[in-house]
Amino acid sequence: MSIRARLGLDTREERYAYGVDAIAGYISAQKIPDHWVATTCGYCSVGCGMFIGVKDGRAVSVRGNPDHPVNRGNLCPKGLSEHHTIDASNRARQPLLKRNGRFEPVSWDAGLATMAAAFRRVQAAHGPDAVGVISTGQLVTEEFYALGKLVQLGLGTRNLDGNTTLCMSTAVAGYKRSFGSDGPPGAYEDLERADVILLIGANIADNHPILCRRLQANPGTTLIVVDPRVTKTAMMADLHLPIRPRADLALINGLIHIVIDRGAVDYDYVDRHTVGFEALTASVREYTPTRVAEITGLETGLLYETAALYSTAKAAFIGWTMGVNHSTKGTETVNAINNLALITGNIGRAGASPFSITGQCNAMGTREAGFASSLPAYRKFESAEDREALAGIWNVPVERIPSARGLAYPDIIEAALERKVRALWIIATNPIVSFPNRGALTQALEALDFLVVQDGFHPTPTSEFADLVLPAAIWGEKEGTYTNSERRVSKVNRAVGPPGEARTDLDIFLGVASALGVRDELFPAWRTPADAFEEWKRVSAGRLCDYSGMTYEAIEAHGGIQWPFADGARDPAATRRLYTDGVFQTDDGRARLIPVSWEPFPEQPTGEFPLVLNTGRTVEHWHTRTKTANVPILERLSPHAWAEMNPHDARMLGLKPQNRVDIVSRRGRIRDVELRVTETVAPGQIFVPFHYAEANANQVTQSAFDPVSREPNYKQSAVRVERTQA
Amino acid sequence: MSLPLLTRTQNADARFILTPARRSLGVGGPKVRTLGPSVSARMPGRAPGAGEQYRFHFDMGRCIGCKSCVVACNEQNGNPAAINWRRVDEIEGGWYPNTSRAYLSMGCNHCINPTCLSGCPVDAYTKDAATGIVRHSADTCIGCQYCTWNCSYGVPQYNPERGVVGKCDMCHGRLELGQAPACVSACPEGAIAIEIVKTAEWREAVAATSSGHGLPLSDGSLSTTRVTMPMKLAPSARPVHLTNVRPAEPHWPLVVMTVLTQLSVGAFAAIWLLQMFGGSAHLGAAALTSFLVAGLALNASTLHLGRPIHAYRALKMWKRSWLSREVLLFTAFSGVAASYAAALWFALPGGVVLGGLTSLLGVGGITASACIYRVVSRPAWNTRYTLLQFNLTAAALGPLLAAAVSATSGERSVRWLALAAAAMAGAQLALIALRFFRLVAARSIELQGSARLLSTTLRSRFLARGALAIGGIVLPLLAQGAFLLWVALVVALAGEILGRYLFFVSVVPKHMAAPYLELGSEAA
Repeated sequence: MSIRARLGLDTREERYAYGVDAIAGYISAQKIPDHWVATTCGYCSVGCGMFIGVKDGRAVSVRGNPDHPVNRGNLCPKGLSEHHTIDASNRARQPLLKRNGRFEPVSWDAGLATMAAAFRRVQAAHGPDAVGVISTGQLVTEEFYALGKLVQLGLGTRNLDGNTTLCMSTAVAGYKRSFGSDGPPGAYEDLERADVILLIGANIADNHPILCRRLQANPGTTLIVVDPRVTKTAMMADLHLPIRPRADLALINGLIHIVIDRGAVDYDYVDRHTVGFEALTASVREYTPTRVAEITGLETGLLYETAALYSTAKAAFIGWTMGVNHSTKGTETVNAINNLALITGNIGRAGASPFSITGQCNAMGTREAGFASSLPAYRKFESAEDREALAGIWNVPVERIPSARGLAYPDIIEAALERKVRALWIIATNPIVSFPNRGALTQALEALDFLVVQDGFHPTPTSEFADLVLPAAIWGEKEGTYTNSERRVSKVNRAVGPPGEARTDLDIFLGVASALGVRDELFPAWRTPADAFEEWKRVSAGRLCDYSGMTYEAIEAHGGIQWPFADGARDPAATRRLYTDGVFQTDDGRARLIPVSWEPFPEQPTGEFPLVLNTGRTVEHWHTRTKTANVPILERLSPHAWAEMNPHDARMLGLKPQNRVDIVSRRGRIRDVELRVTETVAPGQIFVPFHYAEANANQVTQSAFDPVSREPNYKQSAVRVERTQA
Repeated sequence: MSLPLLTRTQNADARFILTPARRSLGVGGPKVRTLGPSVSARMPGRAPGAGEQYRFHFDMGRCIGCKSCVVACNEQNGNPAAINWRRVDEIEGGWYPNTSRAYLSMGCNHCINPTCLSGCPVDAYTKDAATGIVRHSADTCIGCQYCTWNCSYGVPQYNPERGVVGKCDMCHGRLELGQAPACVSACPEGAIAIEIVKTAEWREAVAATSSGHGLPLSDGSLSTTRVTMPMKLAPSARPVHLTNVRPAEPHWPLVVMTVLTQLSVGAFAAIWLLQMFGGSAHLGAAALTSFLVAGLALNASTLHLGRPIHAYRALKMWKRSWLSREVLLFTAFSGVAASYAAALWFALPGGVVLGGLTSLLGVGGITASACIYRVVSRPAWNTRYTLLQFNLTAAALGPLLAAAVSATSGERSVRWLALAAAAMAGAQLALIALRFFRLVAARSIELQGSARLLSTTLRSRFLARGALAIGGIVLPLLAQGAFLLWVALVVALAGEILGRYLFFVSVVPKHMAAPYLELGSEAA
């Protein structure tokens, strides 16, 4: 501090001055930009429209876009401070190559040549699939499309998957099994139109706060929230079902049992648009209200009330997120949800939808274009017709299109442990914090011959393990499209340039293609995201996720366009929902009713590990905090991890609020978190947020995965709580 | 339960007439309304008339605790993350699964009788005549932070980077241009609104609400914020931060300043009494030493200011502010004390009169000091013990200093001074004990919090303070000769300094959420 400031002669008036901006109005002068750039928020999948204010090449402020149909100008605390992520001190600025255990700067050309050589060396020695790629939900769709093509056709490995497998693959798998294709059938507008809303394992007040205002716009609706925790969302509910951990599948089967038993089935819809009703009826016979009450811990009265509300609603909506997806029975639970919606005809109508609320800003983009769990544009690996169509568009021999998917994310890690995958390319994700059972993951990464981490940030807990760090542009620094949960394709624009030598992910992919010698073949004359977008439109034409009628200009003009939007389409509102005609993406056009059965969660509490650990989020932070830990106001509002415990358990353990505790499982220990004693969690359960690398919830979570979607069972780890030893 | 302030009301669907219509800003620019999201229903639609002012309405039932308002406020005002002019507190109650948690978002309450304003020694606060908004001038502020104690809601916050306080001004500049405040437009749930309140009616409504219903009405400041309570809030709902009571700022310059001014005043009073009744002839050295102590204390006090160069401004509001009065009285005290010391040193006439005046001004200064801490929002300070404690500090330390200096300069008749100091130290110890037991037995959550701090986090320091107090009793009794008197003084002084430190750190301020505890229970 200067002498003048110490004496009180300098109160930094300039820094604290105000001014008037034409858009933002009267505001702190340092926040007044030279110009505003329209874009879409880069955090979650709600997909809010916003503007970035740019001054002297720096992003200085943001504003919600009042004309955007998703958010009408509103933003959550992360969105309201998103420009600070761009200037974060831990941005990656130059390619770094690890030599003798130390990162040294390297040129892009040399770095990419090293990477290409290392990958080719591994593939020559151990086969093409010895290279794995783990992508993300954070890039623009144009980049996902380019990456899929590069990895599958250029690098020639099938082992490509994304962190979306940690989050949305269960919804994808469930939708595919029930409806023949991925693609959330509803729209956010359904929250305003439904007269009953059933949220299962979805704490939207913390995780998708901008969706909550849709509930306010629908004061007549009955909100039912199924959650073992009394979340902020549960407190908003008209009816909260405080279910036992992971009893959701039993609950839904029980609801179906009651609906069938009471004859509240929409038989007309079932007859015309589904198959498998008899088998479903038989499968839920054993889910009597009494038995379901035992499993779920809910009184039978609540089951009847919920079943009656849902099945007699004019339009009933089911929304779910990670409470359902993070489960070894996740895919089946999604199928159960779809079963319930189908037998009551609650799909394809305004307000009526089984709706997976997605996680990342462009998880949907990688689902559509990504070439991981399906061929681009929801084509099927196993369909010869689809493979030929794709080969035709690309003008490559059909043999180059794989006929089966490669390894999913957890299986790539498993293969690395077994030394079958020898080199890994991790893009815009931070598995050291986000992947379950960190101990096993660490061993896998250390076993690799070569690890490339491509990220907007360095160091991250994951990039420390890298042999090569590729610095990437992030939100605000590049152009393309994001698809939100309701299939709305929104435009993302570049407001400022990336820091240092960082490049957009698309440029990096094109650079890697050059280094591999495949650029001219795969990406002829590609220079900008628009080139990728044009090809993607052709690839998606005629598919469910049809982009062929879209242009960047039209997307911006409409505040995003929901697919399908075929060439020649005029009215974006016409495709607000899927399956309005009851025709599904199966061979016979009928949806499948899939019998599914409940099982107890895999790691039951024991005397040694008596508590059930649930993990989740807080509104201030995003995923592993690589971004939000560098936004000072968000860190201020939520500076460190905590553990929530019921007062009953705290008394039994002799613990008091603010005690420092460790959470211990068979696999590891979360050290030194602050105890919060609260009635929001049930006795016998504890809750820990998963954002914090230094108190990483995944040090104790288990390696248990859904057999279909391969999504981890992050929740319900058996743990004990100990006082932290100094 | 129907309380005038807590009825669930619907906002009239009024448009804010000052709001500019949607417009396009130039070719190629994004089309946006200046306000961001549509907030017309949350704005009053007109300016306040005579007898009216703007106020916040907060709908607790709508708030989902997303804290968008906090982030928007910081962005609006360019404040560092640690300073939050709007904050969100949590209130929780009930048993699983019938648990309820509510959130209280609060900026400034733009009180009818703002206590920040009435205590300010430099007149940095104004209550805007047209809007009723309580505004603060960073230019005028000297960073004394007295307002941060005076406000019952913790609204004004000191910004060390600037050396001045700052606070929510309801985005006065935005309102002037017909724009909604940042928090109002940022709230995705529409839980924050600006309304117009008739101040006379609000006074009556507040008066009709018994003080037991708590704040934001519990003190005379008359907060104008209207809070609509949620439909369901468990009767046991409590602010969740209550389990997390932390020691407050020690304010070291104030610890030094208050103890040393009291030491000096006590010493001058002892010297004066010696002069009158002891017939002692060698008091010049003691008076000079006491004067130097006072000078040190007053200089130390400026270190507490964010803008020490403007310390003189603190004299301005002596008609209203105890802080101004303290500065005025101690300035006068030190001036007269200098003359008194000179009179004694040079054996000039008039010493007895000057000595009396010095003592009188000193006691006045100590009284003003104590009155500064008589603030409603800091219950542990807001007792008559504070005045007693400050005077006992003077009475226990002053005679010891006089005795020690006198003994050093060869004076013999100082035994009774040491005895008096021991007696006063004994009274101080009794007061410490009494005060602690009153805290333990108190019903107020803030006083209980203070007791908890003293018996947990601050326990060893509190015990040390007790031990030093006993030393302050025993040592003067045993002290024979100058050296031992000095030792006794040092021990007693250390005890008082530690005691004053504990005075500052063990205070638990009324937090803005805390009042809602009782409101919440009533409304449930």
